[in-house]
Amino acid sequence: MTSLTVKPPVRRRRAGRKQIGVYVALTVIAVVGLLPYLFALSTSVKTNQQFASEYWLPSFPFHFENYVVAWVQIQPYMVTSLLVAAASIVGIVALSLLAGFVLARFDFPGRNFFFIMVITLMMVPGIASLIPLFVMMKDLGLLNTIWVLIIPHIAAGAVLGTILMKTFIEGIPQEIFDAARVDGANPARLFWSIMMPLSLPVIGTVSLITVIGVWNDFFWPLLTISQNELKTVSVGLIFFQGQSGTDFGPMFAGYLLASLPLLLLFTFLSKYFLAGVQGGLPGSH
Amino acid sequence: MVVLPPKKKRAHWGIYVALLPLALVLGAFQYYPALSGIWYSFWDWKPGFTSTFTGLDNYVRMFGDEIWWKSFGNLGIIFAFSVLTWVVPLVSAELLVSLKSERAQFIYRTLLIVPMAFPGVVTALVWSFLYQPNNGVVNQILRVFGLGDFAQNWLGNPELALIALLFIGFPFVAGLPFLIFYSTLKNIPNEIFEACALDGVGRVRRFFAIDMPLMGRQVQLLLILVIINTLQYGFVAYILTHGGPDNATMVPVLRMLNQAYDGQAWGYAAALSTTLFVFTIVLSAIVALFRRRDTTTNVKGI
Repeated sequence: MTSLTVKPPVRRRRAGRKQIGVYVALTVIAVVGLLPYLFALSTSVKTNQQFASEYWLPSFPFHFENYVVAWVQIQPYMVTSLLVAAASIVGIVALSLLAGFVLARFDFPGRNFFFIMVITLMMVPGIASLIPLFVMMKDLGLLNTIWVLIIPHIAAGAVLGTILMKTFIEGIPQEIFDAARVDGANPARLFWSIMMPLSLPVIGTVSLITVIGVWNDFFWPLLTISQNELKTVSVGLIFFQGQSGTDFGPMFAGYLLASLPLLLLFTFLSKYFLAGVQGGLPGSH
Repeated sequence: MVVLPPKKKRAHWGIYVALLPLALVLGAFQYYPALSGIWYSFWDWKPGFTSTFTGLDNYVRMFGDEIWWKSFGNLGIIFAFSVLTWVVPLVSAELLVSLKSERAQFIYRTLLIVPMAFPGVVTALVWSFLYQPNNGVVNQILRVFGLGDFAQNWLGNPELALIALLFIGFPFVAGLPFLIFYSTLKNIPNEIFEACALDGVGRVRRFFAIDMPLMGRQVQLLLILVIINTLQYGFVAYILTHGGPDNATMVPVLRMLNQAYDGQAWGYAAALSTTLFVFTIVLSAIVALFRRRDTTTNVKGI
């Protein structure tokens, strides 16, 4: 926990010359890992003729209109995914912030039981309840609606959300709450005026985990949505491949456009992004 | 744990009202489906029609389902391969921590993990293009090096399809193992390395004598996480091969979905899903135990 701050800025090793070799090796590994994406990037601005004549290298002129073609195709999917992510975030934060607050700051009979019931769900793999959940949604008549996409994300996200919120809120100094109570704030006021603003970092983490989850979810939207306008990005791309299978430029442009939201989050919120990838444990790298 | 309000033992009813929404959502959309899946695994489940109770029939059928067990065999290969691939993230993490410049470390770390930022589906689709028989990059590379005879339909050959799937994400650095190895190595106190250097311990010796033992617990944890992830393996195989050719890349998740959606055998699929669920929950319980006992390590979380 504190080991990072304790670490003195002492050089790790004294050997000098060998660093060149280390740089070369790391560069090779990094480039090999990035190569498929770089290939996708260079192909995404080619026409099929350019692709045929200049397979490996970027070829001029760049055809950025491929991105327009791709955007027209995947735009509905992007909108659906964004909607699902936004609605899920609102639902998850509302549910788990309230529950986390109550669990962290109040004592009441059944408190431990309730929390254990929440934690137990961490062990239930999403894929295992996929089929019964599907049948349930079918019985409710929710297939092919946006709700079938949102509700499972809220239900799954609220589990981790509640745990993260509870842990975070327990760390907020009690004095702040005491002071507010002395000033006459009731629990509702404590929640809105103190909890909400102080919890922004953990709300951010939960939101990021949710976006990553929505963007990577595959089987659930594949099975529950057949209406084209309601498809999410992950599923839409599959059919996109089928539609324009021979038009490589727009196809790769579509893949990259679909990746853009996560890439932006990774670039600007790298620390939280990695925490999200690792199951929401902040400070994990 | 601080109690508020401190004295009052009888809880305010408002507390339960505040917890009600979460309880309802989790009850309806987490507990109910999970339990109904177990319940209906003992039925000939016909959603929308009358289901009949069949006892253990579904499970008996499962024991005779060769494809189901073959799919677990594939999982074994997938698991063994993933563990083998840790060599690359391990070596990369070792190389990375030996960089003296903090700035260079940050830049290389970022470059190495950028592929993690791409959605899994995009990675799968890009790789499915790399494997294409005609225009695919893999075959083109072989042709460039005069090895055109080896060029082939990688995903269409039952003997190669699974291994082709496993190579997706090569060189396997962008992932959880790398992050864990790197953060573990980063957090080993420098004094230990200084003591080593004084005693004349070389880099390789240090790796086996210090780095590896200190990573032991993290590796244990990682092993179990990989087992759980492997049990849920599925969407990559779905996108690239649909479990084919000739079930060469069949995995339990795909078998389960096939039975439900193509075979309309919902009760049987529920039995398969319950089995997967039991496997996973046992392993998750072990992970939870590890987490709780994990007080010896100097590394925070994973």
